[in-house]
Amino acid sequence: MRLVRGLGIGALALGLVAPFAGSPSRTQQRGLDLDSIARAIDAGSDHVSARQLAEWIRDRRPGLRVIDVRSPAEFHDDAIPTAENLPIDQLVRSHFAPDQTIVLYSQEGAHAGQAWVMLRSLGVTQAVFVPGGLADWREEVLSPLLPVNGSPAERARIAELSHYFGGSPRIGGAQEGEVVGAAQTGPGSRRRGC
Amino acid sequence: MNDLLIAGGIGVAFGWALERAGLGDPPKLAGQFYLRDFTVLKVMLSAMLTAMLGVFWGGRLGMLDPGALYVPETYLLPQLVGGLVFGLGFVLSGLCPGTSCVALASGRIEGAATMLGLFAGVLLVGVAFPAIEPFYRSTPHGALTLQRLTGLPYGVVVALVTVVAVSMLAWIAKREAAR
Repeated sequence: MRLVRGLGIGALALGLVAPFAGSPSRTQQRGLDLDSIARAIDAGSDHVSARQLAEWIRDRRPGLRVIDVRSPAEFHDDAIPTAENLPIDQLVRSHFAPDQTIVLYSQEGAHAGQAWVMLRSLGVTQAVFVPGGLADWREEVLSPLLPVNGSPAERARIAELSHYFGGSPRIGGAQEGEVVGAAQTGPGSRRRGC
Repeated sequence: MNDLLIAGGIGVAFGWALERAGLGDPPKLAGQFYLRDFTVLKVMLSAMLTAMLGVFWGGRLGMLDPGALYVPETYLLPQLVGGLVFGLGFVLSGLCPGTSCVALASGRIEGAATMLGLFAGVLLVGVAFPAIEPFYRSTPHGALTLQRLTGLPYGVVVALVTVVAVSMLAWIAKREAAR
Protein backbone atom coordinates (compact mmCIF):
# COMPACT_ATOMS: atom_id res chain seq x y z
CA MET A 1 0.00 0.00 0.00
CA ARG A 2 2.86 2.31 0.82
CA LEU A 3 4.44 1.56 -2.59
CA VAL A 4 1.16 2.30 -4.37
CA ARG A 5 0.80 5.58 -2.52
CA GLY A 6 4.40 6.47 -3.35
CA LEU A 7 3.81 5.76 -7.03
CA GLY A 8 0.65 7.86 -6.99
CA ILE A 9 2.40 10.80 -5.35
CA GLY A 10 5.31 10.43 -7.80
CA ALA A 11 2.95 10.47 -10.79
CA LEU A 12 1.10 13.48 -9.41
CA ALA A 13 4.36 15.36 -8.90
CA LEU A 14 5.61 14.58 -12.41
CA GLY A 15 2.26 15.58 -13.88
CA LEU A 16 1.97 18.84 -11.97
CA VAL A 17 5.50 19.95 -12.91
CA ALA A 18 4.81 19.22 -16.61
CA PRO A 19 3.19 22.61 -17.44
CA PHE A 20 6.38 24.36 -16.36
CA ALA A 21 8.75 22.03 -18.17
CA GLY A 22 8.30 23.49 -21.65
CA SER A 23 7.67 21.60 -24.84
CA PRO A 24 9.03 18.08 -25.09
CA SER A 25 8.72 17.84 -28.85
CA ARG A 26 11.68 18.51 -31.09
CA THR A 27 9.62 18.57 -34.28
CA GLN A 28 6.78 20.63 -32.89
CA GLN A 29 8.16 23.98 -33.92
CA ARG A 30 6.86 24.31 -37.43
CA GLY A 31 9.31 26.15 -39.55
CA LEU A 32 12.05 25.45 -42.00
CA ASP A 33 15.06 23.74 -40.53
CA LEU A 34 17.30 25.30 -43.17
CA ASP A 35 20.49 23.55 -42.07
CA SER A 36 19.06 20.08 -42.34
CA ILE A 37 17.46 20.92 -45.70
CA ALA A 38 20.78 22.20 -47.04
CA ARG A 39 22.54 19.08 -45.80
CA ALA A 40 19.93 16.79 -47.41
CA ILE A 41 20.24 18.63 -50.75
CA ASP A 42 24.04 18.56 -50.62
CA ALA A 43 24.13 14.88 -49.76
CA GLY A 44 21.51 14.06 -52.40
CA SER A 45 19.31 12.34 -49.82
CA ASP A 46 16.42 14.59 -50.94
CA HIS A 47 15.75 12.76 -54.19
CA VAL A 48 15.70 9.39 -55.84
CA SER A 49 16.06 8.54 -59.52
CA ALA A 50 13.14 7.14 -61.49
CA ARG A 51 15.08 3.94 -62.02
CA GLN A 52 15.77 3.54 -58.30
CA LEU A 53 12.08 4.11 -57.59
CA ALA A 54 11.22 1.44 -60.16
CA GLU A 55 13.48 -1.02 -58.35
CA TRP A 56 11.84 -0.16 -55.03
CA ILE A 57 8.36 -0.74 -56.47
CA ARG A 58 9.42 -4.00 -58.11
CA ASP A 59 11.10 -5.24 -54.89
CA ARG A 60 8.03 -4.20 -52.84
CA ARG A 61 10.13 -2.13 -50.46
CA PRO A 62 8.36 -2.14 -47.06
CA GLY A 63 6.67 1.13 -46.13
CA LEU A 64 7.00 2.61 -49.63
CA ARG A 65 4.37 5.23 -50.48
CA VAL A 66 4.50 6.72 -53.95
CA ILE A 67 2.59 9.99 -54.11
CA ASP A 68 1.53 11.82 -57.27
CA VAL A 69 1.12 15.53 -56.44
CA ARG A 70 -0.51 16.44 -59.79
CA SER A 71 -4.22 17.06 -60.32
CA PRO A 72 -6.63 14.08 -60.29
CA ALA A 73 -7.25 14.54 -64.03
CA GLU A 74 -3.54 14.23 -64.85
CA PHE A 75 -3.26 11.33 -62.43
CA HIS A 76 -6.05 9.40 -64.17
CA ASP A 77 -4.47 10.06 -67.51
CA ASP A 78 -1.15 8.41 -66.67
CA ALA A 79 0.64 7.60 -63.42
CA ILE A 80 3.43 5.51 -61.96
CA PRO A 81 2.09 2.09 -60.90
CA THR A 82 1.20 1.79 -57.15
CA ALA A 83 1.06 5.61 -56.83
CA GLU A 84 -1.71 7.39 -54.93
CA ASN A 85 -2.95 10.83 -55.88
CA LEU A 86 -2.50 13.56 -53.25
CA PRO A 87 -2.56 17.05 -54.85
CA ILE A 88 -0.38 19.55 -52.98
CA ASP A 89 -3.22 21.13 -50.99
CA GLN A 90 -4.25 17.71 -49.68
CA LEU A 91 -0.66 16.61 -49.15
CA VAL A 92 0.00 19.16 -46.39
CA ARG A 93 -3.11 18.04 -44.52
CA SER A 94 -2.11 14.36 -44.60
CA HIS A 95 -0.32 12.38 -41.94
CA PHE A 96 2.60 10.11 -42.54
CA ALA A 97 3.83 7.32 -40.31
CA PRO A 98 7.51 7.67 -39.41
CA ASP A 99 8.41 4.28 -40.89
CA GLN A 100 7.07 5.11 -44.34
CA THR A 101 9.29 6.11 -47.24
CA ILE A 102 7.40 8.79 -49.13
CA VAL A 103 8.34 9.32 -52.78
CA LEU A 104 6.86 12.44 -54.39
CA TYR A 105 6.64 13.00 -58.11
CA SER A 106 4.98 15.42 -60.50
CA GLN A 107 5.00 15.89 -64.26
CA GLU A 108 8.58 17.11 -64.51
CA GLY A 109 9.79 17.37 -60.93
CA ALA A 110 9.45 21.03 -59.92
CA HIS A 111 6.16 20.63 -58.06
CA ALA A 112 7.40 17.48 -56.34
CA GLY A 113 10.50 19.38 -55.19
CA GLN A 114 8.31 22.16 -53.80
CA ALA A 115 6.09 19.59 -52.11
CA TRP A 116 9.23 18.07 -50.57
CA VAL A 117 10.14 21.43 -48.97
CA MET A 118 6.58 21.83 -47.71
CA LEU A 119 6.68 18.40 -46.06
CA ARG A 120 10.07 19.22 -44.53
CA SER A 121 8.57 22.35 -42.97
CA LEU A 122 5.89 20.12 -41.43
CA GLY A 123 8.57 17.92 -39.88
CA VAL A 124 8.24 15.06 -42.39
CA THR A 125 11.84 14.01 -42.98
CA GLN A 126 11.30 10.62 -44.59
CA ALA A 127 10.26 12.00 -47.99
CA VAL A 128 12.19 12.10 -51.27
CA PHE A 129 11.19 13.25 -54.74
CA VAL A 130 11.87 12.16 -58.30
CA PRO A 131 13.75 15.08 -59.93
CA GLY A 132 12.58 14.38 -63.49
CA GLY A 133 9.09 13.33 -62.51
CA LEU A 134 6.88 11.29 -64.76
CA ALA A 135 8.91 12.38 -67.79
CA ASP A 136 11.97 10.72 -66.28
CA TRP A 137 9.94 7.62 -65.50
CA ARG A 138 9.00 7.31 -69.16
CA GLU A 139 12.54 8.01 -70.32
CA GLU A 140 14.53 5.98 -67.82
CA VAL A 141 12.19 3.13 -66.95
CA LEU A 142 9.65 2.63 -69.72
CA SER A 143 11.87 3.29 -72.72
CA PRO A 144 15.43 3.52 -71.41
CA LEU A 145 18.41 3.89 -73.68
CA LEU A 146 20.58 0.78 -73.33
CA PRO A 147 24.20 1.96 -72.98
CA VAL A 148 26.20 0.51 -75.84
CA ASN A 149 29.40 0.51 -73.84
CA GLY A 150 27.74 -0.90 -70.73
CA SER A 151 28.29 -4.45 -69.60
CA PRO A 152 25.79 -7.08 -70.80
CA ALA A 153 24.66 -7.60 -67.19
CA GLU A 154 23.87 -3.89 -66.79
CA ARG A 155 22.00 -3.79 -70.10
CA ALA A 156 20.01 -6.88 -69.10
CA ARG A 157 19.18 -5.31 -65.73
CA ILE A 158 17.87 -2.13 -67.34
CA ALA A 159 15.92 -4.07 -69.99
CA GLU A 160 14.42 -6.40 -67.40
CA LEU A 161 13.26 -3.49 -65.24
CA SER A 162 11.71 -1.85 -68.29
CA HIS A 163 9.87 -5.05 -69.28
CA TYR A 164 8.62 -5.46 -65.71
CA PHE A 165 6.68 -2.20 -66.07
CA GLY A 166 5.55 -3.01 -69.61
CA GLY A 167 8.07 -0.78 -71.36
CA SER A 168 10.59 -1.50 -74.07
CA PRO A 169 14.19 -0.31 -74.06
CA ARG A 170 15.76 1.57 -76.95
CA ILE A 171 19.08 0.51 -78.38
CA GLY A 172 21.74 3.18 -78.14
CA GLY A 173 23.93 4.44 -81.02
CA ALA A 174 27.53 3.42 -81.66
CA GLN A 175 29.02 5.92 -79.23
CA GLU A 176 27.39 6.15 -75.85
CA GLY A 177 28.70 9.62 -75.11
CA GLU A 178 27.17 11.03 -78.28
CA VAL A 179 23.83 9.41 -77.74
CA VAL A 180 23.57 10.50 -74.15
CA GLY A 181 24.64 14.00 -75.14
CA ALA A 182 22.00 14.09 -77.85
CA ALA A 183 19.34 12.87 -75.45
CA GLN A 184 20.17 15.62 -73.00
CA THR A 185 19.89 18.41 -75.51
CA GLY A 186 16.37 17.18 -76.19
CA PRO A 187 13.98 16.49 -73.35
CA GLY A 188 16.87 16.00 -70.93
CA SER A 189 17.52 19.72 -70.58
CA ARG A 190 14.18 20.24 -68.82
CA ARG A 191 15.77 18.93 -65.67
CA ARG A 192 17.78 22.05 -64.98
CA GLY A 193 15.06 23.83 -63.07
CA CYS A 194 14.99 21.53 -60.08
CA MET B 1 14.78 -8.65 -37.73
CA ASN B 2 15.88 -6.58 -34.77
CA ASP B 3 12.52 -4.77 -34.83
CA LEU B 4 10.71 -8.10 -34.74
CA LEU B 5 12.73 -9.23 -31.73
CA ILE B 6 12.00 -5.97 -29.89
CA ALA B 7 8.30 -6.24 -30.80
CA GLY B 8 8.26 -9.84 -29.58
CA GLY B 9 9.87 -8.82 -26.29
CA ILE B 10 7.41 -5.97 -25.76
CA GLY B 11 4.50 -8.30 -26.62
CA VAL B 12 5.62 -10.90 -24.07
CA ALA B 13 6.04 -8.20 -21.40
CA PHE B 14 2.61 -6.77 -22.24
CA GLY B 15 0.95 -10.19 -22.00
CA TRP B 16 2.75 -10.94 -18.76
CA ALA B 17 1.63 -7.63 -17.23
CA LEU B 18 -1.99 -8.25 -18.32
CA GLU B 19 -1.95 -11.74 -16.83
CA ARG B 20 -0.35 -10.49 -13.59
CA ALA B 21 -3.07 -7.82 -13.34
CA GLY B 22 -5.67 -10.58 -13.63
CA LEU B 23 -7.01 -9.44 -16.99
CA GLY B 24 -7.04 -12.98 -18.41
CA ASP B 25 -10.07 -13.65 -16.23
CA PRO B 26 -13.41 -12.96 -17.99
CA PRO B 27 -15.56 -12.48 -14.82
CA LYS B 28 -13.07 -9.87 -13.63
CA LEU B 29 -13.31 -7.97 -16.92
CA ALA B 30 -17.10 -8.24 -17.13
CA GLY B 31 -17.22 -7.08 -13.48
CA GLN B 32 -15.99 -3.65 -14.63
CA PHE B 33 -19.13 -3.15 -16.72
CA TYR B 34 -21.32 -3.85 -13.68
CA LEU B 35 -19.06 -1.68 -11.44
CA ARG B 36 -18.31 -4.71 -9.26
CA ASP B 37 -14.60 -4.90 -10.00
CA PHE B 38 -12.40 -1.94 -10.89
CA THR B 39 -9.31 -3.86 -11.97
CA VAL B 40 -9.71 -2.89 -15.65
CA LEU B 41 -10.00 0.80 -14.81
CA LYS B 42 -7.00 0.62 -12.47
CA VAL B 43 -4.84 -1.10 -15.08
CA MET B 44 -5.95 1.31 -17.82
CA LEU B 45 -5.46 4.46 -15.75
CA SER B 46 -2.05 3.44 -14.43
CA ALA B 47 -0.90 2.36 -17.92
CA MET B 48 -2.08 5.66 -19.43
CA LEU B 49 -0.36 7.64 -16.68
CA THR B 50 2.89 5.72 -17.09
CA ALA B 51 2.87 6.07 -20.89
CA MET B 52 1.86 9.74 -20.88
CA LEU B 53 4.42 10.79 -18.26
CA GLY B 54 7.03 8.56 -19.90
CA VAL B 55 6.52 10.14 -23.34
CA PHE B 56 6.37 13.69 -21.96
CA TRP B 57 9.42 13.47 -19.72
CA GLY B 58 11.31 11.17 -22.08
CA GLY B 59 10.84 13.82 -24.77
CA ARG B 60 11.75 16.64 -22.40
CA LEU B 61 14.98 14.90 -21.42
CA GLY B 62 15.80 14.19 -25.07
CA MET B 63 15.45 10.41 -24.80
CA LEU B 64 12.75 10.16 -27.48
CA ASP B 65 10.96 12.38 -29.98
CA PRO B 66 7.19 12.53 -29.27
CA GLY B 67 6.69 13.96 -32.78
CA ALA B 68 7.87 10.64 -34.22
CA LEU B 69 5.05 8.72 -32.52
CA TYR B 70 2.22 7.81 -34.83
CA VAL B 71 -1.15 9.22 -33.74
CA PRO B 72 -4.04 7.32 -35.38
CA GLU B 73 -6.55 9.54 -37.15
CA THR B 74 -10.01 10.19 -35.74
CA TYR B 75 -13.13 9.35 -37.77
CA LEU B 76 -15.76 10.30 -35.22
CA LEU B 77 -18.95 8.51 -36.27
CA PRO B 78 -17.51 5.20 -37.52
CA GLN B 79 -15.26 4.99 -34.46
CA LEU B 80 -18.23 5.63 -32.13
CA VAL B 81 -20.14 2.79 -33.80
CA GLY B 82 -17.01 0.60 -33.74
CA GLY B 83 -16.55 1.37 -30.04
CA LEU B 84 -20.11 0.30 -29.27
CA VAL B 85 -19.72 -2.97 -31.23
CA PHE B 86 -16.38 -3.55 -29.50
CA GLY B 87 -17.91 -2.87 -26.06
CA LEU B 88 -20.77 -5.25 -26.76
CA GLY B 89 -18.33 -8.02 -27.67
CA PHE B 90 -16.21 -7.13 -24.65
CA VAL B 91 -19.04 -7.49 -22.12
CA LEU B 92 -20.46 -10.59 -23.85
CA SER B 93 -17.19 -12.53 -23.85
CA GLY B 94 -15.51 -10.85 -20.89
CA LEU B 95 -12.38 -10.44 -22.99
CA CYS B 96 -10.90 -7.94 -25.43
CA PRO B 97 -8.50 -8.88 -28.29
CA GLY B 98 -5.34 -8.56 -26.20
CA THR B 99 -6.70 -10.28 -23.12
CA SER B 100 -8.18 -13.12 -25.22
CA CYS B 101 -4.62 -14.07 -26.23
CA VAL B 102 -3.57 -13.82 -22.58
CA ALA B 103 -6.53 -15.96 -21.48
CA LEU B 104 -5.67 -18.62 -24.07
CA ALA B 105 -2.00 -18.55 -23.07
CA SER B 106 -2.96 -19.19 -19.45
CA GLY B 107 -5.14 -22.11 -20.54
CA ARG B 108 -8.64 -20.66 -20.58
CA ILE B 109 -10.77 -22.03 -23.41
CA GLU B 110 -12.87 -18.80 -23.48
CA GLY B 111 -9.75 -17.13 -24.87
CA ALA B 112 -9.81 -19.40 -27.94
CA ALA B 113 -13.53 -18.74 -28.49
CA THR B 114 -13.00 -14.96 -28.33
CA MET B 115 -10.01 -15.15 -30.68
CA LEU B 116 -12.10 -17.15 -33.15
CA GLY B 117 -14.72 -14.41 -33.02
CA LEU B 118 -12.00 -11.80 -33.40
CA PHE B 119 -10.62 -13.37 -36.58
CA ALA B 120 -14.11 -14.00 -37.97
CA GLY B 121 -14.90 -10.32 -37.40
CA VAL B 122 -11.65 -9.19 -39.04
CA LEU B 123 -12.40 -11.40 -42.05
CA LEU B 124 -15.98 -10.16 -42.28
CA VAL B 125 -14.92 -6.50 -42.19
CA GLY B 126 -12.20 -7.21 -44.76
CA VAL B 127 -14.66 -8.83 -47.15
CA ALA B 128 -17.29 -6.14 -46.63
CA PHE B 129 -14.77 -3.28 -46.71
CA PRO B 130 -15.58 -1.99 -50.23
CA ALA B 131 -19.21 -1.61 -49.16
CA ILE B 132 -18.50 0.09 -45.82
CA GLU B 133 -15.47 2.17 -46.89
CA PRO B 134 -17.44 5.44 -47.41
CA PHE B 135 -18.75 5.15 -43.83
CA TYR B 136 -15.31 4.08 -42.55
CA ARG B 137 -13.82 7.31 -43.88
CA SER B 138 -16.68 9.63 -42.91
CA THR B 139 -16.47 12.50 -40.33
CA PRO B 140 -12.64 12.73 -40.47
CA HIS B 141 -10.91 14.92 -37.87
CA GLY B 142 -7.26 14.15 -38.61
CA ALA B 143 -4.89 13.17 -35.83
CA LEU B 144 -6.92 14.56 -32.96
CA THR B 145 -5.21 14.95 -29.58
CA LEU B 146 -6.43 16.56 -26.35
CA GLN B 147 -4.06 19.50 -26.84
CA ARG B 148 -5.33 20.11 -30.38
CA LEU B 149 -8.95 19.80 -29.22
CA THR B 150 -8.60 22.14 -26.22
CA GLY B 151 -5.83 24.41 -27.53
CA LEU B 152 -4.01 24.03 -24.20
CA PRO B 153 -0.23 23.53 -24.03
CA TYR B 154 0.95 19.92 -23.89
CA GLY B 155 2.24 20.24 -20.29
CA VAL B 156 -1.09 21.59 -19.02
CA VAL B 157 -2.97 18.68 -20.61
CA VAL B 158 -0.51 16.27 -18.96
CA ALA B 159 -1.13 17.90 -15.56
CA LEU B 160 -4.94 17.83 -15.95
CA VAL B 161 -5.01 14.18 -17.04
CA THR B 162 -2.67 13.27 -14.17
CA VAL B 163 -4.90 14.98 -11.60
CA VAL B 164 -8.04 13.25 -12.97
CA ALA B 165 -6.38 9.82 -13.18
CA VAL B 166 -4.72 9.96 -9.75
CA SER B 167 -7.98 11.19 -8.15
CA MET B 168 -9.88 8.30 -9.71
CA LEU B 169 -7.24 5.79 -8.59
CA ALA B 170 -7.32 7.22 -5.05
CA TRP B 171 -11.13 7.01 -5.02
CA ILE B 172 -11.02 3.38 -6.15
CA ALA B 173 -8.41 2.53 -3.50
CA LYS B 174 -10.56 4.16 -0.80
CA ARG B 175 -13.64 2.27 -1.99
CA GLU B 176 -11.78 -1.03 -1.98
CA ALA B 177 -10.32 -0.39 1.48
CA ALA B 178 -13.80 0.34 2.85
CA ARG B 179 -15.05 -3.12 1.87
